[in-house]
Amino acid sequence: MVVSADGVPVTAVPAVTGRPGTARGARRRDLLRGLLGAAAALAIVPVVTASRPSRPVDGGPTDSFDETYRGRHIQGVLASTRTAAAGEVRWDITVDGRPLHLMRRADGTWLSMVDHYSSYATPLEAARAAVDGLGPGERLRAADPAHRDPHMGGDHGLHP
Amino acid sequence: MAYTRKDVSTLTGAERRRFVKALLEIKRKGEYDEFVRMHIDYYVSDGDGGLRTAHMAPSFLPWHRRFLLDLEQALRRVDSSVTVPYWDWTRDRTATAAPWTKDLLGGNGRRSDHQVTTGPFAYATGDWTIKENVTDGEFLTRDLGRAAAPIDLPTGSDVDRALQDPVYDTEPWDSTVTRGFRNKLEGWGTGSGSAAWRNHNRVHRWVGGVMLGGASVNDPVFWLHHAFVDLLWTRWQSRHREHRYLPAEPPGPTSRQYRRVVARQEKLPPWDVTPDQLEDASRIYRYA
Repeated sequence: MVVSADGVPVTAVPAVTGRPGTARGARRRDLLRGLLGAAAALAIVPVVTASRPSRPVDGGPTDSFDETYRGRHIQGVLASTRTAAAGEVRWDITVDGRPLHLMRRADGTWLSMVDHYSSYATPLEAARAAVDGLGPGERLRAADPAHRDPHMGGDHGLHP
Repeated sequence: MAYTRKDVSTLTGAERRRFVKALLEIKRKGEYDEFVRMHIDYYVSDGDGGLRTAHMAPSFLPWHRRFLLDLEQALRRVDSSVTVPYWDWTRDRTATAAPWTKDLLGGNGRRSDHQVTTGPFAYATGDWTIKENVTDGEFLTRDLGRAAAPIDLPTGSDVDRALQDPVYDTEPWDSTVTRGFRNKLEGWGTGSGSAAWRNHNRVHRWVGGVMLGGASVNDPVFWLHHAFVDLLWTRWQSRHREHRYLPAEPPGPTSRQYRRVVARQEKLPPWDVTPDQLEDASRIYRYA
């Protein structure tokens, strides 16, 4: 079906046997341990993040917010500027007192674990969008279990 | 002998039952939640450090191809007749069309809390309690079409715009590229508002509920959606036979993308397989 540029059939996918990558329990942990070497190597790569200071919303301050949006209490505070040269910025955000983890895109926009397939100009807009994405009565987990172990070397902001 | 992945709207009653039954069985055994966890773990954003494999990267397509193969393999260990069907959202565009029927994935979430209450994945069945989630919700949620601010599914012309691009992907190999098939299909736009959500990303948003978040795999429609995305990759390959996965070589040490994307001949974590080896899956499955 698919051929490479020189007309030779491209290597077929190796037969999928066992359950690689999705093994349960111990096997999966072994797998992750195996990746730690790669993760360690990646950790030394300087993180260069396109930085765009978050714009004030409604003329408010740029380093914190505290508001009620659609009945939800949103709080955010600029937590650290770990490497000033790289301009990396981290925000601690809660919705009704529970942590909302944000990720950053290369264009400087923000996305949350609740709304993972679009991004927003500011942490506040991302937090509001997360509230929009929550079902009525639905709350974030008490402690965000997702991205607990950023084993691929990606620091997801939970482990300063 | 390659097996066939079918359009979900064409499945017979027996095929629907067996697909659903296999899903429920791997959920019961705990295997399904490992897929949910893995997808969460491998979501690395391009504004953060580290290697990106599953999203905002050239390997978005091969990573999900292999992810689907693993799920399909798990299903076929339960029932060797089962394959993952695809949902052609350019054709089945309403909340009552396939796959949102009671004998398949069930329908929309109810208004009060977006809980899916129909079909085999309804919470009340006891068969589909969500364990890995970003919220405290234990039931499957959907908000098809986003009732509060309605949006449409991507159209055939949206898909065509991606398919027409002969280049697979281009520098800087992330979510900001405006050229190349991969991101036109993955769907990271610029700016805000609904125009910025395209194709793959837009479908996640249209389904809503758990499909909007990091734990999107909890909705079995994830697999039907990604099977169609995978099918679109094969269509692109057929249309542009002289073009292949890019980058062919890893970005060098001076590049911002050094060690952050997977080149054609590099291993694609967590598997011992390269994008090159995943480009042609026609000996394993074909699309009908």
